[in-house]
Amino acid sequence: MTTIRIKAKERAGIVDVKSLMKHPMETGLRKDKDGNIIPPHFIQEIVAENNGAVVFSGSFNTSISKDPYLSFQYSGKKGDKLTLSWADNQGQKESTTVDVG
Amino acid sequence: MFRSPKCGAFTAALLMSISPVLIAGPLGIGAPATAEMIAGWDIDIRPDGQGLPPGAGSVADGEGLYEAQCASCHGLFGEGAGRWPVLAGGEGTLDTAHPEKTVGSYWPYASTLWDYIHRAMPYPAPQSLTDDEVYAITAYVLYLNDIVDDDFVLNQETFQEVKMPNEPNFYIDDRPDVVNTRCMANCADPALFEIVTTINGVTPTAHFKEDSGVAANHYGNESSGAESVKVALSDAAVAGESVHAKACNVCHGAGIAGAPVTGDAGAWTDRIAQGMSTLNKHAIEGYVGKNGVMPAKGGNMALSDDEVANAVAFMVESSQ
Repeated sequence: MTTIRIKAKERAGIVDVKSLMKHPMETGLRKDKDGNIIPPHFIQEIVAENNGAVVFSGSFNTSISKDPYLSFQYSGKKGDKLTLSWADNQGQKESTTVDVG
Repeated sequence: MFRSPKCGAFTAALLMSISPVLIAGPLGIGAPATAEMIAGWDIDIRPDGQGLPPGAGSVADGEGLYEAQCASCHGLFGEGAGRWPVLAGGEGTLDTAHPEKTVGSYWPYASTLWDYIHRAMPYPAPQSLTDDEVYAITAYVLYLNDIVDDDFVLNQETFQEVKMPNEPNFYIDDRPDVVNTRCMANCADPALFEIVTTINGVTPTAHFKEDSGVAANHYGNESSGAESVKVALSDAAVAGESVHAKACNVCHGAGIAGAPVTGDAGAWTDRIAQGMSTLNKHAIEGYVGKNGVMPAKGGNMALSDDEVANAVAFMVESSQ
């Protein structure tokens, strides 16, 4: 079960993408109950590819909330393969592919 | 309104109950509820699945229904639009400073989900969903919380497989005073019960200073509990008590600005010796003495002279 949920719907040549990524997005500034700093853990890079071609990319940082919600649009058609992937500062990666509906 | 067939049956039953044929029972009013009427009310679903109607719905079916009926408020992913309730996420936040209580992070039983959606959702048109639709939406919300897989089909049987992540954290209250066995026969005589101990210090009582001589007026006039004011009061003094509470007690209750405290006999003896007319004059017109200042009518010019005199009578009689 992936931690990225994506809804991609095409209408009049425009694919409307809505997605939710489960991620703690720790800034590294918070402290836990014992006063120890919670290490930073946040998504740094996000890439959306349509049939292998990059249609959206971005750099996230500590100002993005926990479990980020991302919505964007691009030109595409039904049946395209949309892949959304992220990489965080701890080297973890996650990627999910859905069919555009 | 929402279930017109049942509303119709109910109305018909009401009309019938007026006819003398159906009148029964000790009060001679009402009519037995029909099985259909009871079924209209008996819609609760128990944690073990009792009450679930036949039917089924898949996560895939629920996705479309959810997006059409629920997502406008609860968000496409259950994240909650605006300030509407969040349905998914929040795992592991219950013991933090900002607990996020969702279906997945908090709810102990999936039956609540089915019951609530069926009973109260969608918000503008509750009970408009079919049983199959409720199954499908329930399945999809469980899927949004990663409790079931995307090929899950919810029905009476598969409901038993659903285990909510937070269920183990709910337990029967184990404090000693809530687990006593209920006595139904040959019980102990309540007259023999004895109070072994009481819990003190829970209610703030610092404002009840018995030796302050101040009538505790926090609960109105009936609680003039301080000993020194428990004297027989004249009619004028009784009438003045409420004026005192409103206008005088601010200073004469605590001794602000050199005011003699009501009930403090020592502070009042010399003043009373001056005679009531002098006291009334000072109270009504104001007075500057060596100890402090008495503003005219306590600064409350809306009071009549008689009301002030009544209050003075109350203070004097309470302070002898």
